Amino acid sequence: MPRALLIGYGNTLRGDDALGPLAIERLRALLPEAEFVSCHQLGPELAGQMAACDLAIFIDAASEGEPGTVQLERLLPSAGDAASLTHHVKPAALLELSQTLYGRAPHAMLVTGVCASFELQGGDHASALSESASRALDEICRLVPRLVQFFPAMW
Amino acid sequence: MPTITIDPITRIEGHSKVTIQLDDHGDVLDARFHVTQVRGFEKLCEGRPFTEMPALMARICGICPTSHLLASSKACDDIMAVRIPETAEKLRRIMNLAQITQSHALSFFYLSAPDFLLGMDADPEERNIMGVVRKYPQMARDGIKLRQFGQRVIEMLGGKRIHPGWIVPGGVSHPLQAEQRDAILAEIPEALRITRSALQWFKGQIENFRAEVRSFANFPSMFLAMANDTNEFSAYNGWLRFIDSNLNVVADHIEGADYQNYIGESCNDDSYLKSTYFKPLGLKDGIYRVGPLARLNMCQSAGTAQADEELAEFRELERHSVLSSFYYHYARLIEILFSVERMETLLNDPEILGTNVRAHASPNKFEGVGILEAPRGTLIHHYKIDQNGLIESANLVIATGHNNLAINHGVLQVARQFVKGKKLEQGMLNRVEAVVRAFDPCLSCSTHAAGEMALDIQLLSADGEIVDRMRR
Repeated sequence: MPRALLIGYGNTLRGDDALGPLAIERLRALLPEAEFVSCHQLGPELAGQMAACDLAIFIDAASEGEPGTVQLERLLPSAGDAASLTHHVKPAALLELSQTLYGRAPHAMLVTGVCASFELQGGDHASALSESASRALDEICRLVPRLVQFFPAMW
Repeated sequence: MPTITIDPITRIEGHSKVTIQLDDHGDVLDARFHVTQVRGFEKLCEGRPFTEMPALMARICGICPTSHLLASSKACDDIMAVRIPETAEKLRRIMNLAQITQSHALSFFYLSAPDFLLGMDADPEERNIMGVVRKYPQMARDGIKLRQFGQRVIEMLGGKRIHPGWIVPGGVSHPLQAEQRDAILAEIPEALRITRSALQWFKGQIENFRAEVRSFANFPSMFLAMANDTNEFSAYNGWLRFIDSNLNVVADHIEGADYQNYIGESCNDDSYLKSTYFKPLGLKDGIYRVGPLARLNMCQSAGTAQADEELAEFRELERHSVLSSFYYHYARLIEILFSVERMETLLNDPEILGTNVRAHASPNKFEGVGILEAPRGTLIHHYKIDQNGLIESANLVIATGHNNLAINHGVLQVARQFVKGKKLEQGMLNRVEAVVRAFDPCLSCSTHAAGEMALDIQLLSADGEIVDRMRR
C-alpha cells in the first residue's frame, strides 16, 4: 500500500463546507492504513507530513459547478500567490513547500464536492449537509478508496 | 494637500491602511494607521449565558483563540468567584505559553523574516515567505517546526489547534494524560534548539538594521504589563502595572475590577480600532505600549535559566528600558525561549497529572474581569450579567488597541525618516508596513472583519489631492 495522506478541510460551522472533515470521518474506517488530517484550513505546517507520503488527497467543498457532483484535479507543485502562504495555503503551494523544503512532494489530487449551501449552522454539523452535498460525500467515499487502492497504476 | 495611502498593509493579521499627509514642500506632515474592519462581538454576545462566553469569544480570531478562551474563562471564574484548582491553573499556563510560542513563531518566521533575510529594499515579488523558503530553507523549516510545536501542544491539550474547547469556567474540562505530557516533553529539546539558533542569528543581524532601530517607533513611552510579587515574567497571574521609560513605576497593583480607572478608551473617526490611553494623563499624553517589549522591560527576571541569560544581554541594548519597537522581534524570540523552558518545568511537576481540574459554582457576582498576557500584549475581558446569568454588557480591551497610539506614532516617525518627495518607492513603502508589523497587530481581534481590504498607502498633497498611491 502507498503511504497515503488524506486531508479534508473546511469550516464545520458553515453548512456544506464541512464536507471535507466529514469525508475524513467516514474514510477512516474504509482506509485503516492511511494517515488523516481534518482541519479548518491548510497551513504550511502540513508540508513536512506531506513530504513523508507517496500520495496526498485533498478533499474540499466548492460552490461552482453542478451541485452534488465531484471533481477530480491532478495537482502539481506551484508557489502561486506567495503572499497567501502565511495563514492558509492552497494545495499546490503546499506541494511546492514540500518539494522546496523537504526535497520531495507526493503525487497529489484535489477532490472537490460541489455543494449548495454554505450558511452558518448550529448544532450537529453532520445533519446540516444539504441533499446535494450528501450525494457528493457518498461519491467521494466511493471514489477516494479506489484512488488509493489503484495507486500508482491509474496515476 | 498630497496624501500617500498604503492599502492594505501586508503580512499582518487582518486588514488596514496607512495615509501619509504631506505639506506644500512635500515633507511629511502627519501619518495615520487605519483599521478598516468592524467588530461586533461585544454586541452579539449580549443576552447569551455567561458560560457560553469562552467558546463564543474564542471565535474572535483564528490566530489568538486560545488567548480569548483564557481571558474569557478568567472573567467567568471571577463571576463565579471561584479559585480554580492548582493543576488547572498550571495546565492553563501551559496552554498560554504554547499560544505565545506558536503566535510569536508565526510573527517572526512567517511574517517578518522576509524583511530580515531578504532586506527591506528587496523586490516585493521575492520579499515574502516563498523567497525565504527558496533562499533560506533551514530557517523556513525551523520556523514551521517551532510553530508546529506550539500548535501541537494546544492540540494535545485542547483537542484541536484552532478554537480548542478545553478551557472552561472554573478550570479545564479534563486532566492531562501521562502520554500527552511525555509527547510534549519529547519535543522540547528541538524547540529550544531552534529558538536559540534564531536568537543567535537575529542578534548578528541587528547591526544591519540600525536605521530601522533608530526610527521604528523609537520614543520614550510608558509600558503596561502584568506584574507580580516576584517581579518575574508573568503571563497568566498577577495585577497590572504601568512603568515609564526610565523603569519607574507609574501605577501598580491594578486589579481587574479597577482597570477602567487607569485605562481609557477612545474611538477614532477614521478607524474601527479604539485607542486606549493611561487615563490619569489623558489621551494626549497617556500613550503606552504593551506586548513582548513591555513585558521584558517590566520584569526583573524571566525566571528560567536560558531566557534570563538572554534577557541580561537584551538589557544591555539601552540604559533604562528598551525603547525601539524594532526590538519587539528580539523580545519575541526571548519570550519563546522562556515559554518553552517554563512549559518543561510545569510539565515535570508531578501535580500536572492531578485529576482535580475544575471548580463548579453558580454566579456569585454580577460582574467579572479576566486579564491575561496574550502574545501581543495585555488582554482584558469584562462582562456584566443579569440575575439569570445572561450577559448584559461586554467590553474587550485588546493588545492592538493598547498599542494603537504607539503604532500611529511609529508610522509618522518612519514616514518622516523614509518618505521623501511626492513619489513612493518600494523600500519606503515596506518600512512603513514593517513598523506596523513590528507590533504584530492582530486586527481580527481588535476589530472584526466585515469583508476584506488589503494595504493601501496614499500620498496626499497639502490640499488633500492624492498625488501618489500604492495598493497591494
